[in-house]
Amino acid sequence: MTSSSIYPCGRFARRRFLHQVGAGFFGTAIGAVLAADGGNSVPRITPRARSVIFLFMCGGVSHLDTFDPKGNGMAGKLINAVGFGDNMAEMMRPVIPCHRTFTPCGKSGIPVSDWFPHVGSVMDEIAVVRSMYCHETNHFPAVVEMATGHRDRLLEHPTLGSWVSFALGNENQNLPTFVNLGRPSSAVQLSGGYLGATVSATPFQPGEVPIPNLKPPKNTSAADRERQMQLLSAMNEEFRRDYAIHSAIAARTRSYELAARMQACAPEAVDFSNEPESIRQQYGVGGADTDDFGKRLLLARRLVERGVRFIQVCHAGNGGNGAWDAHDDMGSHAPLCRQTDRPIAGLISDLKQRGLLDTTLVVWTSEFGRTPWSQNTTGRDHNPKGFTSWLAGGGVRGGTIWGRTDDVGYRAVQDKVYINDLQATIICQLGLDPKQMEIEISGRPVRLVEEGSEPIRGILA
Amino acid sequence: MVSSPNCFEVPRNVNVAPSSFRRTVDAGWRAITVRVVLALWAVLGWGVATSAPTIPKTPEELWALRPIVRPAVPEGGTASKNPIDAFIAKSCRDRGLTTTGPADPLVWLRRVTFDLTGLAPTPAEQESYLEDSSAGGRDKAIARLLGSEQHGVRYGRHWLDVLRYADFDENMPATPGIHYWRDWVIHAINQDLPFDDFVRAQITGNRAAKRKTISPEGHLSEVPPRPEDRFALGFLARGATSPGNADYQLSFSAVETISTAFMGMTIGCAKCHDHFFDPIRQADYYSMKAIFDPLVVRPMDLATPEQVFAHGRSVAEHESRLQRVVEAMRRFVAPYHTQLYEERLSALPPEAQAAIRKPEKQRSAAEQKIAEDYHPILRIDPIKMKAIMTPEVIKEYDGYLKQLAALKAPEPLPVFWTVEDDAKRASEKRYVLTTGDPARPKLSQEVQPGFPLVTRPPEFRDGRRETLADWLTAAENPLLPRVAVNRIWQWHFGSGLHGSANDFGSLGGAPIHPQLLDYLAAEFIAHRYSMKWLHTLIVTSETYQRASRVTADAAIANQRIDPDNRMYWKYPLNRLEAESIRDALLQAAGTLELHLGGKSFDMGGTNVSSNRRTAYVQRGYRSYQEVMPAYLQTFDAEDGRIVCPRRNQTVTAPQALFLMNDSLTEDVSKLFAARLAGEFPGDLTSAVRAGYRQALGRHPTSTEEVRASTYLAGDPSRLKGFSWAVLNLDEFLYLR
Repeated sequence: MTSSSIYPCGRFARRRFLHQVGAGFFGTAIGAVLAADGGNSVPRITPRARSVIFLFMCGGVSHLDTFDPKGNGMAGKLINAVGFGDNMAEMMRPVIPCHRTFTPCGKSGIPVSDWFPHVGSVMDEIAVVRSMYCHETNHFPAVVEMATGHRDRLLEHPTLGSWVSFALGNENQNLPTFVNLGRPSSAVQLSGGYLGATVSATPFQPGEVPIPNLKPPKNTSAADRERQMQLLSAMNEEFRRDYAIHSAIAARTRSYELAARMQACAPEAVDFSNEPESIRQQYGVGGADTDDFGKRLLLARRLVERGVRFIQVCHAGNGGNGAWDAHDDMGSHAPLCRQTDRPIAGLISDLKQRGLLDTTLVVWTSEFGRTPWSQNTTGRDHNPKGFTSWLAGGGVRGGTIWGRTDDVGYRAVQDKVYINDLQATIICQLGLDPKQMEIEISGRPVRLVEEGSEPIRGILA
Repeated sequence: MVSSPNCFEVPRNVNVAPSSFRRTVDAGWRAITVRVVLALWAVLGWGVATSAPTIPKTPEELWALRPIVRPAVPEGGTASKNPIDAFIAKSCRDRGLTTTGPADPLVWLRRVTFDLTGLAPTPAEQESYLEDSSAGGRDKAIARLLGSEQHGVRYGRHWLDVLRYADFDENMPATPGIHYWRDWVIHAINQDLPFDDFVRAQITGNRAAKRKTISPEGHLSEVPPRPEDRFALGFLARGATSPGNADYQLSFSAVETISTAFMGMTIGCAKCHDHFFDPIRQADYYSMKAIFDPLVVRPMDLATPEQVFAHGRSVAEHESRLQRVVEAMRRFVAPYHTQLYEERLSALPPEAQAAIRKPEKQRSAAEQKIAEDYHPILRIDPIKMKAIMTPEVIKEYDGYLKQLAALKAPEPLPVFWTVEDDAKRASEKRYVLTTGDPARPKLSQEVQPGFPLVTRPPEFRDGRRETLADWLTAAENPLLPRVAVNRIWQWHFGSGLHGSANDFGSLGGAPIHPQLLDYLAAEFIAHRYSMKWLHTLIVTSETYQRASRVTADAAIANQRIDPDNRMYWKYPLNRLEAESIRDALLQAAGTLELHLGGKSFDMGGTNVSSNRRTAYVQRGYRSYQEVMPAYLQTFDAEDGRIVCPRRNQTVTAPQALFLMNDSLTEDVSKLFAARLAGEFPGDLTSAVRAGYRQALGRHPTSTEEVRASTYLAGDPSRLKGFSWAVLNLDEFLYLR
């Protein structure tokens, strides 16, 4: 088992939805491997969360119009946007007014904009981190930074969900460990990178065929297929006997078995027919704006119930920058908020009423926020220097506000939280020590979370 | 790792075993210590640290850099006259391994046909091979396969994995026309271009070793490059990928690809620090980079004069049409535009308004700065104008916008992106860059062009790249032939004579078969770097002809001694690559198109209908767009971002789902069944036999015939189900 074949220092091919059966089921389940070794030598903190639902808003949500109100005292005034992008020269930009009204919500009284009334109703479950920052100013690099915690292209860094799959494996052997719902901004958000294709995200879609090729072609009846499968199995006999010492051949048998189990389990997971009407309504399923995202979140809950470890739900991925990218007019946020507001609140209250919220960490974020100034009178530019993410459940203390941006909401200034810190928080709640999550590639240690990053302890219960 | 080495390349590539997590506890201290030592060592400079005894401090200490001395061929042990067998026989004998006997002729034919052409042997080819029972039959088959132009498609694709071919990369200007480089590689393989020329052409654009000659009459002349060698430079042009400044990644890419692909050295590590394990300093990386720093990419026009004239006419027509629409539209929106512009302008501070209202030429520098600062605010987008329009006006405006969108610019002229030296860039000083960041040069560390692993600085007489190519291909440089021979061996057997094909440095470990590796390297040079000569030597060996199936007794004994078959006591079982699987499916359907060359096609896109060989499916990477078709990803094809020595051979449930349910399998099963039924109307037994021959390259056994006929139950419509089953067999997917 020599390490080699590295370019320049090591990397695996990016692949989506590939799972190596020889190494266990979906995901290289480290927990299982270690259990078999009789040791629990991966240092485990007591886990607070079993699953993660990671809500990713593609394009950059304005924190200023949602969870980080600044008033309009500076509206119309020019401020110096020095440091924006790579521009180190003085650059005056006019602050634009915010047209939202903010209402203190829940017992905690956290102000939430009128675009998120339903989320406001569950604010006591949510810890708002107002001091997020990252480095990249443009969408794709920032998406990669948010997904992988790294900016370099020296190695093909895996996305957060892949790290989690790699470290923890799955509780359900018939479903993938890491599922993606909704179109992401970048394929990197699905990539297992150097951790291998086995831990890449499996894209699921609501509907009859959640996974490509899950069902036989239309004109093949179940009885036909059954006969064909029997024939196939018989025809494989001699070859499988002759090459029985090859584990790949044993794995081939298992791959067909697993495919069959997925054919049975995956449609069941996406089948909402047993969900009562009240639950559907709670998620906004059937609603004009909310149906699509509501279905994704209802599916996310069903996957959590079935032991899937990491569910990434993307919203407004449109094959370009993402629909949240409101350069032109902040008004373009309104329908997007409508699409997500009720489903998100529905998810959190549904998880809570089922007793799942304690063990399910819900994270809401975007690749960056938006600037206080406009490029174009009523829209806002990209802002990596200060934005808001929030967390709920999974041992997070709800009704908390963490950190602060400056008076206009340009820069995070207090208790700043880098992407790695957010990732460390998630990892930590899953019972892993982010500092120990390190692997070696050709003699070089690499990790998800760079040294110096810390979980956001102030929001943890 | 719980996986097996047979089906999972991961542990061989990169050490990411779960044990490395464990390491954080029980070996954490050791790991930390090693890192501290290495860090200290890096700080103290090369050669000071003594705490890492296995790490060579000088090039001489690295085995791969020692001169190739052709070892004597071991005697006795085998009746075979092929020297490969003599070396392997000795290795097996020394370890007490019993080799398997020769494979069945048809098993061998299927093996060698897939190996050399990536295709399944047709029933006719099987027939004529079986009929030609003479000893020369095998040689004839090999000559036929190596002479087939499909051989270039197969081995060209292997080399393109190593050379990082991609139709797309993040921001790759060379995308239009990059396929000419792919076609050049395939052509070169088919022509049996000597390997040193193959390398030289891709680095310099000229295969010739002697670039100048003096004739007997005393005339000095330059040797012009072969016309097609201009396309070899696609190799370098493909490396330009960085957004905004396309040339900047080119030299990084050149250093890392050339060092890994041709030298088997992980020089990439030295981008940020002196190499921890090999005698490569950070400065060496940047010296080698300086060879390529003068390069810029530029488009080379491939159009004929007639095409240019025709294109000019289309462009003129397009422009005038465009102008008519744009002007009409501008007139139409003028009142709305002016209204919004004035509104926004009057909201600005008075001094800004004053500055902006001045004609551009009359603004002071400060005023111009103000105008530029505010320009985004004064840009009036369609959506804003629509906000103040009535629905009827919007409708009319949309009409203009639709007209505008409908005007398609004419297809661009054919172009190929090449590289050339830029005099200004060549004269610039070059430095070590902190973590490879061009904005952070270490000004105290200027570098001169040069290459790693040499004791004497080279003299750049003929140009930087030419000198590098000469050094790489010089008879004294042992890396090039060792690395190339090992790669070619690995493509035949699935594993190399040296275990890590991309790393001949200290982390790559010692070679498994150092003697055979050196013998083949020496002979490779002696045979003018002929790849076809090497292929022939390998596939005519008994080692290559061994059965892969092992009898129970031999299995137990051998498995204990050499479970990974590192000594080649049997032929290894390997899964077909993505390209061969789809090609074989289309062969079964009878629809595979074999013509060579041309643009890559999009397998997942609207133009799915192509039945060309899978080597021509477009591939690559973009962070914002899925470029690799799901099929290629599912079956482990590479996207060209790394030097891929060998494809992974994963076994996955999605693969099973694909083969069971994808429309490709469905269509192929239908066509395959129709073919079988059409060839043998009313004769299901013959149809079954032909099915086995086409898909598995052999006759069915009587048990298999009975089984199939039981399933068919005399019903020809069930041939489709039979075809489906054949295409889902392990035997279909594996080369035994």
